[in-house]
Amino acid sequence: MTNSIPEIRDADFLFVTGSNTSEAHPIIAMEMKLAVQRGARLAVADPRKIWMTEIADWHLQLKPGTDVWLLNAMAHVIVSEGLEATDWIAENTEDFDKVRETALRYPPEEAAEVTGVPAETIREVARAYAATPKAGIYYTLGITEHTTGTDNVYALSNLVLMTGHLGVRSAGMNPLRGQNNVQGANDSGATPVFYPGYQNASDPEVRGAFAEAWGVEQSETTGLNLNEMMKAMSDGQLKALYLLGEDIVISEPNVCRVEEAMNELDFVVVQDIFFNESCRYADVVLPAACFAEKEGVFTNSDRRVQRVRRAVEPPGQARADWEILLEVMKRAGLEQPDYQHPREIYAEMASLSPKFRGISHERIEREGGMQWPVTGPEEPSCEYLHKGGVLRGKGLFVSVEYRPPFEQEDVEYPLVLSTGRTLYHYNAATQTRRNEQLAHKQPEGFVEVHPKNARKLGIEDGQKVDVVTRRGRVRARVMLSRQVRKNAIWMPFHFPDVRTNYLTTDAGDAVTGTGEYKVCAARLEPVPDSVPERVFPGAFAAVE
Amino acid sequence: MAYSRAKVSEFVIIDGNEISFEPGETLLEAAKRADVEIPTLCYDPRLTPAGACRMCLVEVEGSRLMQPACSFKAAPGQVVRTQTARVQRNREFILSLHLADTIHDRDVMEDNNPSHVHELAERYGTAGDWTTLAKQRAGRPDDVNKFISFRPDRCILCSLCTRYCDQVEAVSAITLAGRGAHTTITTADARSLTDTTCELCGGCVDVCPTGAMTEKAALEYGKPERELDKVRTTCNFCGVGCQIDLNVDTEANQVVKVTSPPPGTTVNDGNLCVKGRFANDFIHHEDRLTVPLVRDPGGGLREATWDEALDRTVRGLQAAAAKHGNDALAFISSSRCTGEENYLMQKMARAAFGTHNIHQCAAT
Ligand code: SF4
Ligand code: SF4
Ligand code: FES
Repeated sequence: MTNSIPEIRDADFLFVTGSNTSEAHPIIAMEMKLAVQRGARLAVADPRKIWMTEIADWHLQLKPGTDVWLLNAMAHVIVSEGLEATDWIAENTEDFDKVRETALRYPPEEAAEVTGVPAETIREVARAYAATPKAGIYYTLGITEHTTGTDNVYALSNLVLMTGHLGVRSAGMNPLRGQNNVQGANDSGATPVFYPGYQNASDPEVRGAFAEAWGVEQSETTGLNLNEMMKAMSDGQLKALYLLGEDIVISEPNVCRVEEAMNELDFVVVQDIFFNESCRYADVVLPAACFAEKEGVFTNSDRRVQRVRRAVEPPGQARADWEILLEVMKRAGLEQPDYQHPREIYAEMASLSPKFRGISHERIEREGGMQWPVTGPEEPSCEYLHKGGVLRGKGLFVSVEYRPPFEQEDVEYPLVLSTGRTLYHYNAATQTRRNEQLAHKQPEGFVEVHPKNARKLGIEDGQKVDVVTRRGRVRARVMLSRQVRKNAIWMPFHFPDVRTNYLTTDAGDAVTGTGEYKVCAARLEPVPDSVPERVFPGAFAAVE
Repeated sequence: MAYSRAKVSEFVIIDGNEISFEPGETLLEAAKRADVEIPTLCYDPRLTPAGACRMCLVEVEGSRLMQPACSFKAAPGQVVRTQTARVQRNREFILSLHLADTIHDRDVMEDNNPSHVHELAERYGTAGDWTTLAKQRAGRPDDVNKFISFRPDRCILCSLCTRYCDQVEAVSAITLAGRGAHTTITTADARSLTDTTCELCGGCVDVCPTGAMTEKAALEYGKPERELDKVRTTCNFCGVGCQIDLNVDTEANQVVKVTSPPPGTTVNDGNLCVKGRFANDFIHHEDRLTVPLVRDPGGGLREATWDEALDRTVRGLQAAAAKHGNDALAFISSSRCTGEENYLMQKMARAAFGTHNIHQCAAT
């Protein structure tokens, strides 16, 4: 996030896109509710009629996968009506002309046809966004989990740059992270392209520095991202896998292929707190401590490094992941200092990453959570980025063209399937399903279907259907709902009995490799003689 | 600009001291900044004042009646007294009234959550024989949800819970209903909370000054909050990074419940969602892995010592690398693990096994 969570309540305009905020990020939603109570205007762009649309001034109910059309049309309104921040653009950005040209090819009337959002709505929202100084954009997986995920993000950032909504309190561009420490994992260099602190892994100088610090030559071969790893596994290029706290058999798309490939691997290590589905393929399973049993830091969406503290002992022989990893490294012949506490590991990382150099456990204990960059021990925590100019020097406009989703509906698969999360569960739900109380509130997976589609197929509310895509079929209970658009269906991905990743495609975004969980083509087949039962839809249901 | 905080230096005089305040601030907010303590029962910085408990009354010169500091706006030159005998008499009287309305015995009252009423009564004293004052509030049948219990015999009708549910959570699942002595907190048609718009944020429990709203599981566990140790940590679910307090029964090595730090102190401003608040029994779940496992060739997994398991780990990885090259190895790290652990994971991939094949699930 370029801004901080507590700034949200002071925003005057909020553009929330691809984020079911009240269910996925309830605390952020509370901030947004505060802003709206204060008089801020709210525009929600989402294919579903999610709770946030209840308090929104505009709901842009776009067809899944048409985000670039919508966003470029907003840009069209801004440049054709002269609402762009001309001086700011000249001072802070590069390549605006190309984006202007592209935008002019996306008129709102045509956008209305492609996206289903009325042209007038697009105009109003674009104008309001451009004209409000404290206007923030908030997005999550609904934007990134597409084959065009990177394009979507560029299209958004073009809007931010052309209106100069950057480096201002309560304005800016704010991805809301889905998991507790996604930010921190990226910060720490758990990505093929970066060493800790976003230092480019393909830069020989950076590699040299780490080679020296760690005392080992660094490979010059570019690493694979997750999506590429899954493919390389199927192709037989990967032979061994070390899985830390992740259950790829539950979380990765097109799981049949993943499972087949896992079977072919020479060697698999799984290190986790539960015996997860991936353990079935493991040669070694290492029992790990959970967050309540260890020390360390998590970094949240607004780049805030905060402490994790040990409250209880781990069960049985389980050990903290950091202890296990140090031990494996030592046994693999890489000498390690005799670290007794993660604060020492953090210090090693900070010493190698200018962005975190001024952060330490000791300082967090004294000052509370710290937002990076903090480049030295005297530097203060950083509330919002791009203050007084764009961080990378000049903000780069990147013109993007609409590309249809990888898979489009056709006669055989006439519906668009999207997946997402609900308030009551979390990802693979290995933790939330084990909560008796939550399981009671929302016990099983379901599929939301628009009443019109249901009528056509002769499907009743609460009955079971098979959801079928080119990759697989799963059975789920139907929830009739006007939250979804006509011809669109939606499923939560938390439930092992209703494994949506048998259905989703593994077509990934070209840059990040993020799978297209949000769009694939599907059809419904009623299960004969299924007895309807009530399903609990979550916090909010627009069922008639 | 409407929302910028203009710094105009204005002063009120509280107990003889000049205290600066910003336009629009209440006496309570001004007093807070100067560390002048004014006790409150129905005040919360996140909510519009209700003026319901009368605990915060202070003397304001020029006004015959005492005024509630939580809602009375500070004005330049105003002279305020918070320590007079009259103020003190009111506090004792109000506390007596509220005590009469709840469970008298503090130990019984605090079976789970601490009672702010009893705490204030101990600090400020009470008036006369309050135990004979009034009858306790009548109960309403409890509902079947497994999360939150409402116990009317403890409620003092401060309306913190209903205001929180309206103004912060914005779902209005609970309301004040009935009149006079029959007023109580209920849901639409007295339905179970899980059948209402309630999102199970647990905020009503956190703001309740009496323990009338209480977590069922912790109540069942049977150890009062004051006997538990609080460990401040970061929630392990979404990316907001809420600060939470794990309430631990240290002797039993058991996390009993989660509470939120006070408003205004952390990124979550004292709020939590259903997952942070209630989804913590996975910590002690019987399915947790407790022993290393290794697979015998062609067979199933069996228990092993750490030594054997770690040895197998290293040998397995090294054998694959020797046969197929370093880039035949892949390391998938976790956004569920700490920053330090992610650092070590990528260091292991890059330094111990010579490959940049390191990533995590969910790159967002
Ligand atoms: S748990 Fe939250 S949503 Fe439910 S009644 Fe309490 S305050 Fe309202
Ligand atoms: S239940 Fe608690 S918070 Fe709600 S009105 Fe009663 S005493 Fe106040
Ligand atoms: S705190 Fe002021 S009336 Fe209750």
